Parts: sequence; C-alpha cells; structure tokens
Amino acid sequence: MESECLTPEWASQPCLMGIDEAGRGPVLGPMVYGCMYCPISYQSSLASLHFADSKTLKEEKREELYESLKLDKSLGWAVDVIDPRELSAKMLAKVLDMGVLLTEAYLDTVGDPDKYRIKLSERFPSIKFVVSKKADSLFPIVSGASIVAKVTRDRALKEWLVEETGEDINRNFGSGYPGDPETKAWLVQHKHSVFGFPSLVRFSWGTCTTHLKGEVEVAWEADENEESGNGSSSKRQAKLSSFGFKTCEKRSEEIESSGKGRCKFLQARKIQQLTQF
Amino acid sequence: MGTIDFRAAADENSIVDLSSQVHQLPCCIRFDGPVEVSHYFKPKSSDVEIDGVKTEEAHFRGRKLQGATISLPSGYSGFVLRQASNLNANGKRKASMPTEDNQCWEVKAKFNNLTYWNHDSLPSKDDTFFRSFHWFSIAEALHKPVKVEDLVAVSHGGKNKI
Repeated sequence: MESECLTPEWASQPCLMGIDEAGRGPVLGPMVYGCMYCPISYQSSLASLHFADSKTLKEEKREELYESLKLDKSLGWAVDVIDPRELSAKMLAKVLDMGVLLTEAYLDTVGDPDKYRIKLSERFPSIKFVVSKKADSLFPIVSGASIVAKVTRDRALKEWLVEETGEDINRNFGSGYPGDPETKAWLVQHKHSVFGFPSLVRFSWGTCTTHLKGEVEVAWEADENEESGNGSSSKRQAKLSSFGFKTCEKRSEEIESSGKGRCKFLQARKIQQLTQF
Repeated sequence: MGTIDFRAAADENSIVDLSSQVHQLPCCIRFDGPVEVSHYFKPKSSDVEIDGVKTEEAHFRGRKLQGATISLPSGYSGFVLRQASNLNANGKRKASMPTEDNQCWEVKAKFNNLTYWNHDSLPSKDDTFFRSFHWFSIAEALHKPVKVEDLVAVSHGGKNKI
C-alpha cells in the first residue's frame, strides 16, 4: 500500500496542510493518520473539490475522491498507521523532512484546542497552527486529509490478515465500529474464554472489556505493580492448592515461589523448596 | 508419602515431547483445562538479540509480550506430571489407591526447554527466571561427592577461614 506521494515540484512554495485521523472510535483494526497539503496559492480551489466531511460521504464516494485527489498534481498527501497517543507531530515531521515549505497547518482536536496549538507551536515554531474542533468540516484541507486517512484504514482493514487459525475464525467483522451490527456479531462469535479475542481487537477499548466480563479472569503482575506501587505481586498468584497441590503451609495465603526466608541467593531468584505436593 | 512414576519417561512413544511448547506468562490465568493454544498463541522470533539472548514476541489478551527460550542444562529434564488414575490396565480398581496422604503421580509429557515471557521489558540475563537457572550449577557443586584431596586442602589451608 502506498504511504505517500513523492516530493512535489511546488514544495518550495509556502504550503498549508490539514491533518486528520480515522479509526479512533472503532474497537478493532489500525488507527490511521492522514494528511493533505498544497501550496497556499491553491487553497481557494480546494472548496470546489467537494471533500466535505468524510463521515457524511459514502464509502464509494470516498474511494472516488481518494483516487482523484491522488491524481491532482497540486495536492500532496501521506498516511501513517501510528499509536494514537503520539502527536500528529510525526505527520508534520514526515512532510517537513520531504522538503516541503510548510507555513500553515490545520488540525482537529479532542482536548483543549489552545493547549494543543501552543504545544505544537513550541515544537514547530515556523508553522502557523489552526486547531479547532470539527476541523474536518470547517477546512477543506482537513476534509481531504480525513478522506486519505479513512480510505487507507478501510483498505487496511479489508486486507488485514487475521493470524489466529482455527475453523471458527472468519473475517466478517464489518466496519469495526462498536455500533455496527456486523462487528457486534463478530465479537460475540469470536469471543474465547481464555484468549479473549483475536489480536486484531483493541483490548483496552471499553467495548472489549465489557464483552470479556464473565470470561476467564486474567491477572497481570504488571497491573498490580502499577496499582500497589510496590513490587509485591504475591497477592493474586494462584494458590498452588487449587491445582491439586497440597502445601505444608497451614495459612491460606496465596503461595508463589518467592524464596521468602531463604538466603539472599535464593531470594533473588525466587527459589524455594517444595517438599510436599 | 507420595510417589512419582517415571517409567513412562523411558519409552519415547508413550509420552509427548513438549519442547518449545512450554510457556511461562507474567499473569495468572484463572482457568484449568484444555485450550487451543496453537490457534491463538503465536510466538515469533524478533530480530532483537541482546547479550546472546534471542527475543521472541507474542500477544495475549491484547498485551504484547517479549520472551526468551532457555534450555534445561544437560543432565536435567522437564516433566509434566498428572495424578495417576485409580484404575489399572484392565479397568479395575488398583489395590493401593491414591489417598490424601498417598498421592501418586505419573509422567505424561517431557520437555527440555522453557520459554518465559516479560510484559514490560525485553528478556535479559538479569531476569529472575533466567537467574534461577544458576541454581543448577550451585546445587551440583554443593552436592557432588567430595574428594579426599579437597578435604585435605581445606583442613590445611583454611583452618582460620572457616
């Protein structure tokens, strides 16, 4: 899949850029950041290209616009499949590295627009930033970026290789949005008591954790270290006795191999003697 | 008093070799039973190798895990045990039945390596699990038969040190 066009010939003219993302809402699949940029002299022509808000466009129309936008020699674009917690800074850096003279950038925001704008201005002092909610419906350059991101994401999802094998696993997961009936049905059908879901699914999304309540509980050492703040992970390790082992301990506290009470060498390696089982 | 029956271990055909299929995860799964592990758990070797430790990558319940496979030292074997059944080959109750104090175990599978998995860090030789294997060489040194020469050396040279 292409990820960007080559450096355009007008790159050394002052340019503006719009950035948007696709896939923040869905419970599965990649999140894609897209951007579109053009010379400032071309800005007035953007409105006539009818990008509008990508969410209101049908998939076929989006695909059509995407293909025509790629052919437009006055428009540049790039996409990146990245961790949503990273700033759009990665997108900015990418285009700047190509030698494009960016002077303006337009972005959407979830949090406080001013805070975000200030942060970006500090990082990229030569660029004028416009950060606003609903930027994809206010600024055509952002609508274009939105199309680039959404089509890339839709295609990536279509081509996504589900690694998990097994007869009951299929790829009819729909759009990936939690409200999509096809996605909902797929989640229910692909739920596994121990493994949860195939790795295509975003486990940290609220939708997913709700689905997994009532399945086999998995307790992570890493989560406890965060919660308790100390290194103790002994509380929730399984009782050896629940696996059929008898222990000589009369106390019913959870047992894990800790080397407690032994010499330093054994404690550091969490080795202790198991005399009865 | 319990017993562990290792006889099956001698017969290659009667027990399963689980080498490269035994994993220790940094979590507690509150489930006990058969599950289609190979359909869901797909470790891959990554290109990262630190200090001679080759890192592998896998995912479980949405968490990315990084692990390393350690071989058991020569002279040692890993076994998976199961409580022996009450029935003998003819399907009749055995004369000596396992009781609470008289548990009988038998070998169902063997393995000669283990893969352990970290949640937040690359596997390294400093990991507790890795370091626990030092015990093998210490145990050997502690328990191997003492030679007469060693005793002589200790009593002559180390009188004031011990």
